[in-house]
Amino acid sequence: MTRDELNAHRLVKEAQETELRAFTRRHFLKESAMGLGAVAMGALLGSCGLGGKTNNDILYDPVHPLLPKAPPFLGKAKSVIYLHMAGAPSQLELFDYKPELMKMDGQDCPQSLLAGKKFAFITGVPKMLGPQAKFAQHGQSRAWVSDNLPHFSTMVDDVSFLKAVSTDQFNHAPAQLLIHTGSPRLGRPSMGSWATYGLGTENQNLPGFVVLTSGGSFPDAGKSIWGSGFLPSVYQGVQCRSEGDPVLFIKDPHGMSRDLRKASIDAINASNEQEYAAYNDPEILSRISQYEMAYRMQISAPEVMNINDEPEYIHEMYGTQPGKSCFANNVLLARKLVEKGVRYVQLFDWGWDAHGDGPNNSLNIGLKNKCRSIDKPITALLLDLKQRGLLEETLVVWGGEFGRTPMMENRNGVQNPYNGRDHHTDAFTIWMAGGGIKKGFTHGETDEIGYSGVSGKVDAFDIQATILNQLGFDHEKFTYPFQGRPFRLTDVAGKVIHDVIA
Amino acid sequence: MKFFRNKKLLVLLVLFAVVIVCSLLMSYDKKVDFNTEVKPIINKKCISCHGGVKKQGGFSLLFHEEAIAATKSGKPAIIPGDPDGSELIKRLLSKDPEERMPYKHEALNEDEIDIFKRWIKQGAKWGDHWAYLPVKEVEIPDVSGDWAKNDIDKFILEKLDEQELKPSAEADRPTLLRRASLDLIGMAPPKKLAEQYLTAKDGDKAYQILVDSLMASQRFGEKWASMWLDVARYADTKGYEADVGRNIWQYRDWVIRAFNKDMPYNEFVTEQIAGDFFTDPTDAQYIATAFQRNTMTNDEGGTNNEEFRVAAVLDRVNTTWEGLLSTTFACVQCHSHPYDPFKHDEFYKFMAYFNNTRDEDISSEYPLLRQYDDSLQTKLTSLTEWLKVNVSPEKSKEIHKFLKTGQPVINSVIADSMVNAIIGNNNIALFFKNNAVARIPAVNLNKVDQLIYRYSSGKPGGSMQLRLDKPGGPVIASWKVPEGPGYRNLAVDFKAQTGVHDVYLTYTNPTATNRDEVIVYFDWFRFSPQFPGKGKPGYEENKATFWTLLNANVQTIPIMVENPSDRSRKTFVFKRGAWITPGAEVHAGVPKSLAYAMPANAPQNRQGLAMWLTDKRNPLLSRTMANRLWEQLFGTGIVETLEDMGTQGMNPTHKELLDHLSWQLMNDYKWSMKRLIKEMVMSATYRQDSKVTEDTKKKDLFNKYYARGSRMRLTSEQIRDQHLSVSGILSAKMYGPGVMPWQPNGIWNSPYNGATWNNATGEDQFRRAIYTYWKRSSPYPSMIAFDGAQRVVCSPRRIRTNTPLQALVTLNDSAYIDMAKYFALRMKKEGGKEIKSQIAKGYEWMMYKPISGAKLKVLDNLYLTALNDYKVHPDKAKQILGGQQTDKYPETAALVVVANAMLNLDEAVTKN
Repeated sequence: MTRDELNAHRLVKEAQETELRAFTRRHFLKESAMGLGAVAMGALLGSCGLGGKTNNDILYDPVHPLLPKAPPFLGKAKSVIYLHMAGAPSQLELFDYKPELMKMDGQDCPQSLLAGKKFAFITGVPKMLGPQAKFAQHGQSRAWVSDNLPHFSTMVDDVSFLKAVSTDQFNHAPAQLLIHTGSPRLGRPSMGSWATYGLGTENQNLPGFVVLTSGGSFPDAGKSIWGSGFLPSVYQGVQCRSEGDPVLFIKDPHGMSRDLRKASIDAINASNEQEYAAYNDPEILSRISQYEMAYRMQISAPEVMNINDEPEYIHEMYGTQPGKSCFANNVLLARKLVEKGVRYVQLFDWGWDAHGDGPNNSLNIGLKNKCRSIDKPITALLLDLKQRGLLEETLVVWGGEFGRTPMMENRNGVQNPYNGRDHHTDAFTIWMAGGGIKKGFTHGETDEIGYSGVSGKVDAFDIQATILNQLGFDHEKFTYPFQGRPFRLTDVAGKVIHDVIA
Repeated sequence: MKFFRNKKLLVLLVLFAVVIVCSLLMSYDKKVDFNTEVKPIINKKCISCHGGVKKQGGFSLLFHEEAIAATKSGKPAIIPGDPDGSELIKRLLSKDPEERMPYKHEALNEDEIDIFKRWIKQGAKWGDHWAYLPVKEVEIPDVSGDWAKNDIDKFILEKLDEQELKPSAEADRPTLLRRASLDLIGMAPPKKLAEQYLTAKDGDKAYQILVDSLMASQRFGEKWASMWLDVARYADTKGYEADVGRNIWQYRDWVIRAFNKDMPYNEFVTEQIAGDFFTDPTDAQYIATAFQRNTMTNDEGGTNNEEFRVAAVLDRVNTTWEGLLSTTFACVQCHSHPYDPFKHDEFYKFMAYFNNTRDEDISSEYPLLRQYDDSLQTKLTSLTEWLKVNVSPEKSKEIHKFLKTGQPVINSVIADSMVNAIIGNNNIALFFKNNAVARIPAVNLNKVDQLIYRYSSGKPGGSMQLRLDKPGGPVIASWKVPEGPGYRNLAVDFKAQTGVHDVYLTYTNPTATNRDEVIVYFDWFRFSPQFPGKGKPGYEENKATFWTLLNANVQTIPIMVENPSDRSRKTFVFKRGAWITPGAEVHAGVPKSLAYAMPANAPQNRQGLAMWLTDKRNPLLSRTMANRLWEQLFGTGIVETLEDMGTQGMNPTHKELLDHLSWQLMNDYKWSMKRLIKEMVMSATYRQDSKVTEDTKKKDLFNKYYARGSRMRLTSEQIRDQHLSVSGILSAKMYGPGVMPWQPNGIWNSPYNGATWNNATGEDQFRRAIYTYWKRSSPYPSMIAFDGAQRVVCSPRRIRTNTPLQALVTLNDSAYIDMAKYFALRMKKEGGKEIKSQIAKGYEWMMYKPISGAKLKVLDNLYLTALNDYKVHPDKAKQILGGQQTDKYPETAALVVVANAMLNLDEAVTKN
């Protein structure tokens, strides 16, 4: 069998096993005197007039909420790495090549582009701004990539570009929330929470949904962007940190050695076994296993979060800076986590908001530096996953929360000191790779100045629908009951982007 | 052989046929219950196409009148009494896939079709869902035996008998002591009280004394407030992106006080819904209305205030239904309720009750209650007295209301038609540059001869004009704008006006150097008559007092204040739930299906709403609270879905008991929550031992019938409070602004928000969990780990989880290591000389009973292991003691390790 066939075979087998497990549990709950879990879910799975469309397959088992579960259909991807460039990178300096825009460089923006539009900062009539990077076509797919990403340009034949993504939110936080939770407001579960709720996770010694941040600040939307919303809190993203404990409270207390920690957990569990003998409550057994798991997590998490033991060529490939907090380190960690069976790894890299109000926020200095800091890591990630045979089962997504205007930003009517672009909702680029996504493909196109999509337009909901589809879920049926109606990640929208699925 | 087998088969077949015919004949007469038999099938199989959302073929099964009405075909689908003539039955039985219902779904089975047939035959009678019918007095079951201690037990026992289960014996005293303490005060009981109870001769009597004492404790309110703060989505921040702080902690304290003084639940609800409607509301009544100001406020740039004002109002509607009435109402925002008897426009009628308050999603969070300190309060009292004597009651009331609530005023951000002016700083205020013009639309100027406004001006030399109707309209006042630091109030008098006008403010300042320079900032405008009582004795003095009070910098809290009648808002149905697509206008009202509980004299405003909520005929308010209190004590509600008692919620396990408790709450106990809690805690049901027997494990694993005591993990608050109290460091300090106990660095790291977490010092490190500062976007991590609610919206129920991350909190969180340290020091000091006696003593503080020999051995071994370790590594001993001076480092450090293990024992984090 080829590697792909082997993988497929393994996936089927695993799916069957988990299905069996799920069935057994369901059966147990149903047959047990009250079937509390089953009854609870059954009753709650009612819907707002969408009775037939709820996903009755998801069972929330409060005792083992993260055990792996089979998706409703066999998904191509087992895990997701989502690389979010917080602040919104400029599509016009990276992937969306617009020679026509160059011709308009320095001219007043035509009124037709401004009428009825609302921008975050642009006021009055701004000037058009040509691409601030050199573009060339790469690979067999002849995809355009700018010289800002020389390494990544060698990977275009593994990637599908979505060139005409749009959003309706022009502020960072709501736009980020929209992409990751399906709503611009706080309170909805994030994609990673949905994924772990629906699928559990493969490695019980690590959190199922890990978040890593770089760039010096959290994403604008704060922790809610990896929150579990109305899903049980066990599904919220666990932020792994490069400073302090890699996971909150994972380190032994100061002055308690690992052996002593082990001895104390053994003592706790020995005592709890006696408690079980007295009370016969299955919850005690569950607590014992949670303490064992906590101990294993104390070992596994720092281990997996430690990149020092990686071979030199890996460090070279990713461009890591061991000991520091940086995007490259986080990307390598993402690979390690996925390899260890973590379901969903979410990266946020802050600092892409190239308005032109300062050198670090300019297209010619700041953006180039940001690109340099991600170029090697994202390239290495795809190559490394490929080499390990993991790319086919790992969906990698790269993008920001919106795009940037073809106009140069003029804050309060005054030209900014550096070349920069304002927030733009109508068009930006996101790419996906692996996890059953087409290789070397481009979907969607923008007009000749990259202002709006003209074909293949997609939005956040379509991307969410596609990600869920690759994980094995019909996004319309994957719901959770809350406030009397079934909620889904994609709210009432979203179409799977079949064109980019292999 | 073959023949024989066939013959046997034949006999079987005949028998089978006879059985079927008999059962059919029998079942045809059997009375069908709509609620338990028909409605569940409708909800599951029919209503998604024939209900509140869609009405395929013009047929709906949501309301009786719809179900028997003519469909699109012109004929009704259900003809009562005639199943065979009813299209519904024909369609269920049809073989044609285009005809057969449910369309493109699995056919109904024979039993289900039979239920429909019999139901139609028996007249297709509708049944109201139990939870929407008024609570009636329930007959207490007549059960035998002497187990029952009160009526609750009789209901429980009746069901146990049905299930052939036997109640468990009463738990031992230490277990009961701990259970009752955790439930009633959320922490360890006072030492003396514990001793009295454990050593009393008459256990039964002592238990009652224990319960009474715990319920009389100030700690009671601190425990029970948590439950309500989840419903009220109380937090110390505003939410949304910026999520900056908000001063609303006095509401939390109000809730604690209300529980402590056992405010009757009907008053508790009335004050929170309509406290501002009382005549001369007290500060406390105003503060109660902050319940509704716990909604989020959006300070983000470029956002539309009206959009988020509406979002807050919708949240108030949803919170009222879900939190107070166990009804999921959010559905109805977009369409009629698919399952329950609520129509689309009824959502907006209900919303109209909340749609006329002064709050407008502005950053200052006006309206705010102004609370005066003693000396200012004396001034206010004397001013009030003077007004009473010298001016009309209306004028007197107006002045008083203005000084207490700062209302009614017009927020500057509603200004429009601006020239050289902007609504600046992320929608915070109206800014003027030189030569500015701004309009305040539609101001009622009848009998108005004064403008008071709050502003700040960075430059001298400015002058302003007040003009009517257009930017160049007649000037009714013109004045110099005094400059000065910070916001200040100014009055401008003019000739009394009549009518409603657009008012234009114009501003010029010859000293302005730059046309982009912002010079004046406005907060609010008030158009009103001048201070009344001119010419009366004491006028000048009292006018001065008025200004002293108005200018005073005072403690504030967001509250509810109604719009004045000349600025009231209209309410419209939102088509498909979107605020930007208003439909027909509606007026305040409750859903028709529950309108029977509306008192005849109720006004059509929030006060009337409160009267309806607390009317004894209201079927949901008392049931919801009785159910919630039960859930707090027993771990699961009688209706498990606290958020939904409707037809899609779970069925009650003990419906009669729930009704009995609701009836008691309203009638016998006159809405006293304490008395109802006591009733539950005094029951034999509550007092049972929680050991799981093989019999109950088999028959009732989840303890739905209460053949044993409830056993569950402590809440996030109980864990912190209990651990602090057994460690001997819990601060008894009550009330005040939220505190910031230790949390790891880097938890708060939000852009555009300068707020920082400053670890508390002194006793504030060890305050009860309820006083922890609650930031919505970044709540206290160890409490969230134990399923604390995030409190973004109403959280009617916490779902308990059991995860390794919880173990990591109590094992490793420095706050918990600190507790272990103090616990160890306390054991060392008060536990005698021997290490074993110290451990035994510590265990007793946690559990009130002696530690078993086996467990003591386990912990003693751990001590020895740790002691060896620390003797080899004395530096580590110092580390774990974190600067604590002691004469015996290894010994004390080893005991910290043991203390940490003890605080992690199953029994330590569980209510047995």
